[in-house]
Amino acid sequence: MPIIDVTNLHKAYGSTVAVDDVSFAVEEGEIFGILGPNGAGKTTTVECIEGLRRPDGGSVSVLGLDPVRDRADIRKVLGAQLQESELPEKITVAEALDLYASFYASPANPAELLADLGLTEKAGTRFEKLSGGQKQRLSIALALVGNPRVAVLDELTTGLDPQARRDTWQLIEQVRARGVTIILVTHFMDEAERLCDRLALIDGGRVAAIDSPAGLIARVASEQTLRFRPSSPLDETVLTALPDVTRVARDGGHYVVTGTGNLPYTVITTLAAHDVVAAELRMDQASLEDAFVALTGRSFEHQAAA
Amino acid sequence: MSTLTKITTVESKLFLRDTTSAVMTFALPIGLMIVFGSIGLGENDPETGITKAFLPVMALALSAALLALSILPTVLATYREKGILRRLSTTPVHPGNVLAAQVLVNLAALVAAAVMVVLLGGAAFDLGTPSNVAGFLVAFVLTATALFGVGLLVAALAPTGKAATSIGMLLFFPSMFFAGVWTPGDLMPSWGRPIREVSPLGAGMEALQDAWNGGWPDGTNLLALVVVTVVAGGVAARVFRWE
Repeated sequence: MPIIDVTNLHKAYGSTVAVDDVSFAVEEGEIFGILGPNGAGKTTTVECIEGLRRPDGGSVSVLGLDPVRDRADIRKVLGAQLQESELPEKITVAEALDLYASFYASPANPAELLADLGLTEKAGTRFEKLSGGQKQRLSIALALVGNPRVAVLDELTTGLDPQARRDTWQLIEQVRARGVTIILVTHFMDEAERLCDRLALIDGGRVAAIDSPAGLIARVASEQTLRFRPSSPLDETVLTALPDVTRVARDGGHYVVTGTGNLPYTVITTLAAHDVVAAELRMDQASLEDAFVALTGRSFEHQAAA
Repeated sequence: MSTLTKITTVESKLFLRDTTSAVMTFALPIGLMIVFGSIGLGENDPETGITKAFLPVMALALSAALLALSILPTVLATYREKGILRRLSTTPVHPGNVLAAQVLVNLAALVAAAVMVVLLGGAAFDLGTPSNVAGFLVAFVLTATALFGVGLLVAALAPTGKAATSIGMLLFFPSMFFAGVWTPGDLMPSWGRPIREVSPLGAGMEALQDAWNGGWPDGTNLLALVVVTVVAGGVAARVFRWE
């Protein structure tokens, strides 16, 4: 039986529909990702799970509880790490964790949690003096200090440097190893691919697909992409005429050829036949991003920038 | 330890770590007492209608106004702006506890400042002590509730911490003027006197001075303080947003 069940969730702010129709189920002990561009409705969706917002339509159930009606009970079993949520500047790491631990009936040991999160040395440091990565880790610690059964982590690694991101990922895997079910909201493809057991691709307030990262990629894996810079001017039609090629696009001096079958062989032999050498050749296997593009029909980056 | 006690303990530490609040609460009234006490403001002057109660009451009232109109709303609006109240609302503890803790901490600071002013006035400047203790306590409590009510209203309305500071200051300076801080006693122009009787800081200072001099606070002053407390506090409770 799923631990979290979201059915036909709908939420609008005035005339702006944030979440149109979202349904998914999260199984106990998994890391479930909610992936989509900015403004896709990811945060609103998890806010309805956390009980911070009241859905306009549909239903949400967390451990059999209704986040709106049973709000008091939800808060005892769900830990939330919110986007852009700070602490008082002058509170120390240890004080914040002790304070939040006191809110729960059977909290985690704050000292152990600090050690797990590599914050022991920073216990006496004030919030304002912490680095971005340390603040983020403290934020995770506060979400976990109540020994929750479900943790919702929203845009966990935004603003972190690459090393801090990798450390944070490792941490999330440790948390899951302790049996906590995790909902991870992200707009980073690599993060979703690395961490999530399953994920929901969300676009425009709707679920485009739900599957494991590998499963999503497999849906579009029949397509391959070849990127190269031709050594001499190239007549595109010789490529588009090939049966294996589905699309040819130009990107500055580069060509991006998409197709099926034995694409690299066909393209390179054809180029050779026209005395063109493919320089800076790169072949791309389908990625989660390709899956997103294929499943929603739009470019992820473009959406993210919009 | 109960949750409120725990939060209040942490909030008092944070209060004391903040230089601005510590200076405003303790250094300002002491400074005022020393400067004006030394130049003899602390004596009865029948010509201007200024009594020796004016100096300690002014020091006390300024402390109260700064705590209530500036420090409290700034902290609360900042907490909301930074998502601190919102984060709390995902835990089993209601963010109302933080609000209560903040009021308690600021009240405690005000009481500490009041004790300091009274002790200093009596010991160093021969200003005596409040002659009507019961009346003084009533006036003190009502002044505090009225000013904190206004402060909570500012916290409820201000979108950011900076906005709260600005609104607080915008209220603070006219409050000081109409309370007669610059024009005490009969120096207050006649058109300003009705406002002094009913503005929170003015009514509070008049009530406190009356009690210091042994009388009972005027009914108009006390009624004004009660009305401000109920109206400002009531509106604040209705419009306060946690996020």
